Amino acid sequence: MDKVLRALEDAVGSDYVSVEDFVLYTYSRGIEGALEEVMPEYVVRVKSTDEVSKVVKVANRYKVPIVPRGGGCCLMGGSKPIEKGGIVMDLTGMNRIIDINLEAMTAAVECGITWAKLNTLLFEKGYYTGTLGPGSGMSATVGGGLSHHSVGGGGAAMYGTCSEHCVALEVVLPQGDVVQTGSNASIYIKESFCRFGLGPDILSIFLGDNGIFGIKTKATLEIFPRPDYHECKTFLLENPGDVNAAKIWLEWRRMGSLGIYDSQYLPPLTVVAYSGFLTEFPFIPAWKGIDKGILWYTIEAYTEEELEEKVKLADEVVRRHGGEELGEKIEDGNIARWHYEKHGFWQNWHALWNIAGPGCVPCSTEHHVPIHRMPDMFRAFEKWEEENRSLLEKAGAFSGVSTAILCGHTAVEVDSGLVVWDRPELRSLNKQLWINQMHMVIRNGGMPYMTGELYSQSLVDAAAFPEPYFELLRTLKRTLDPNGIISPGKYRL
Amino acid sequence: MVELRHVKALSSMAQSCSGIGDCRTAYRQALGWYGVCPMVDHTPGFEPYYARGKIRAIRGILEGKIEPSEGFARVMYHCTTCGACKAVCHVSGVAQITWPTSKYIDHTRLFEAVRTDLVELGLGPMPRHREILDWARREHNPYMEKHEDKFRWASGRELRSRADVFFFTGCTGPYRMPAVCQDVYDVAAAAGVSLAVSPDEWCCGSIALRVGDRGLAETLARHNLEVFEKAEAKTIVTHCAGCYRTIKKDYPEILGELPFEVLHVTELLARLVEDGRLELTEGELTVTYHDPCHLGRHCEVYEEPRRLIGSAPGVKLVEMKRNRSGALCCGAGGGVKSAFPELALSIARERLAQAKETGARLLLSACPFCERNLSDAGAANPSLKVQVKDVSSFLKERLKMK
Repeated sequence: MDKVLRALEDAVGSDYVSVEDFVLYTYSRGIEGALEEVMPEYVVRVKSTDEVSKVVKVANRYKVPIVPRGGGCCLMGGSKPIEKGGIVMDLTGMNRIIDINLEAMTAAVECGITWAKLNTLLFEKGYYTGTLGPGSGMSATVGGGLSHHSVGGGGAAMYGTCSEHCVALEVVLPQGDVVQTGSNASIYIKESFCRFGLGPDILSIFLGDNGIFGIKTKATLEIFPRPDYHECKTFLLENPGDVNAAKIWLEWRRMGSLGIYDSQYLPPLTVVAYSGFLTEFPFIPAWKGIDKGILWYTIEAYTEEELEEKVKLADEVVRRHGGEELGEKIEDGNIARWHYEKHGFWQNWHALWNIAGPGCVPCSTEHHVPIHRMPDMFRAFEKWEEENRSLLEKAGAFSGVSTAILCGHTAVEVDSGLVVWDRPELRSLNKQLWINQMHMVIRNGGMPYMTGELYSQSLVDAAAFPEPYFELLRTLKRTLDPNGIISPGKYRL
Repeated sequence: MVELRHVKALSSMAQSCSGIGDCRTAYRQALGWYGVCPMVDHTPGFEPYYARGKIRAIRGILEGKIEPSEGFARVMYHCTTCGACKAVCHVSGVAQITWPTSKYIDHTRLFEAVRTDLVELGLGPMPRHREILDWARREHNPYMEKHEDKFRWASGRELRSRADVFFFTGCTGPYRMPAVCQDVYDVAAAAGVSLAVSPDEWCCGSIALRVGDRGLAETLARHNLEVFEKAEAKTIVTHCAGCYRTIKKDYPEILGELPFEVLHVTELLARLVEDGRLELTEGELTVTYHDPCHLGRHCEVYEEPRRLIGSAPGVKLVEMKRNRSGALCCGAGGGVKSAFPELALSIARERLAQAKETGARLLLSACPFCERNLSDAGAANPSLKVQVKDVSSFLKERLKMK
């Protein structure tokens, strides 16, 4: 019997290790659109930090790489091997809530829990995690979200990325040691509450690391009382909508806190696509015939008066920039109300799959830009599309920005990318276009956050990092992971 | 390269899966979702144990990347075909927003197709299924019972062979829960509806369809159609949710348009109560209700059983957290109870714990197959014991005698 297999079975139990090809195949990709499947040699499904540590030690002993995997929702190839073989570690079995501490206003969880499960239980107590993870939060895990600085599953405008609210993190380092970071770094702190103290913020190197520095097993997140009052509105914007949306968001930000929980801008092409232009049925019938961009917001408040005042101020800005309000009900096309009241925030991008029919998938190049630079990035996309017109036509692909999301105080998450046909004969061309567009985003000052395989490598290939920075990254990786065990290949490390 | 011909005909379904994976364990309080696939927590839980992984593995075979194997077959039969995956797949929760993928995939149909292919390849069904299907070919039931024993439940009742309403008794009721058949018959009679039955009735074919033996299912369906025609029935009533789904949804695909209406007994009885033809006695009681997957998610009958329960004066229905389209499967369907009995019981224990959480002393359902699995799980675990009863039996106990 394979000695690695035997050691893995000893570590987690024989039921939780698989070498069957049909199991391995299902771990050979995430939800990225145009990458080839790459099969691991082993899949393990872990149930505790101790098991994670044991598996990592086995991997070091036999020099077998590991890719940690949460919900398998990475859009950039982050939750699958880059090179054939190795171990994929499925962490979804570690999904318990360890403690909800309403006194300290934190929730401690195992990192395999989904954002939706955690928040559903918090909603029942009148709380939430603020940022509700990524748009795939019903499947994506807390560990995966923290590895990607995830955002987009609700609350981005008010709370920014999910990483901002992590106060403690337990990590299994690449040689199997278990380290407590944030508040938990001190044995005298019994309740995690803040990560800024005790010296350097070591916790942060594990945030957004795409799983290259260790395997996250437990996290403590800040939680916030969920306000009793909210308003959701959707507006048509005069063209150019992206320019007007940026102006509106900048004005809102300069006015201070308006209680904007979420705000998104959908350009005219997205609106037309959602109204059913590309398939036989409309996704949002109320938008049929609209040829403008759409901006929507959700405002939260703790009293009725506060809400009324904030809505009034926010609406004045929107109207000044040519915004025209759609009706207040979901059937009027008020997507904001669906997003907030029906928890549509965890289905934010589900419309992109099969948008032009079965087999049509997105290849995301999502990134952050400063609010005032959003229109520049829109123009950069138009230029790129013009330059790549013939290749796009050859692939039958669509390109553009599907949505822009107000994110934190200063940023916009630009949800850009391609929509391609997932056919084996087109994968190479699709990948070429995809990488090319990533390079364009990087060179135009876009800031990728979910980097996975393709964006992390594109950052290096586009020479985005000056040598001193990249050498620091390399040194950190070498120091923590001398055998190159965890997630090899990302950032070309 | 092995071809999966039934799956190939549905390849656009497989291709449409986004791989997002909400079918594993989606939570969405606004829509009453508190978990999805019953397999995830009761098996090793690797990807192919739930819908996304199943579909991805199927695609791997369609694209020639992997070959079907015994292991693949075994995991493909780890599915109760409860349809919870379909109920959450890109479902927006409002009528005014439709995400495209929800239009393109019928998960249970795809999984039944792969099972049909596995049967043709000799990799399916599971060994116990084979024994059951062999028996059903000879004795027309999956319970290893003689056909002629099917109507023992009717002892002392004068059965009609012709009537407008035909009672299709199925197999679980007559052979394993005869009191439920008696109660359905008696409650209908109390409302002045005389049900026809036939000793020639065969198994509806549900088990054959669910595990992939389409040929046997077609034989059984054609026979039963003749029985219904002989009875001159205008309406077929079933009390088993599995029979109901099979006759209502699968028979038209096999036989073409049916010349009769198909009702679940809860639909019939709800009509009779609303017409004032059934009077029920008063009595304080708190109950909860388990939605059978084949009645609820597959056929969207959610409210009739609840209206029936609510029609009994003094009865308070408290919902489990997972109800209607979000209900957790009892664990028995799709051939799981016969092939993997411990797995079926393990899922049923989770469902019983959810019932117990409501504080209700009585768990009602509308499918003898669910009731049997839930009762079996309760019998083996006294701490979870909640009394399980069919809605028809509950009504019979509450009938006001005239």
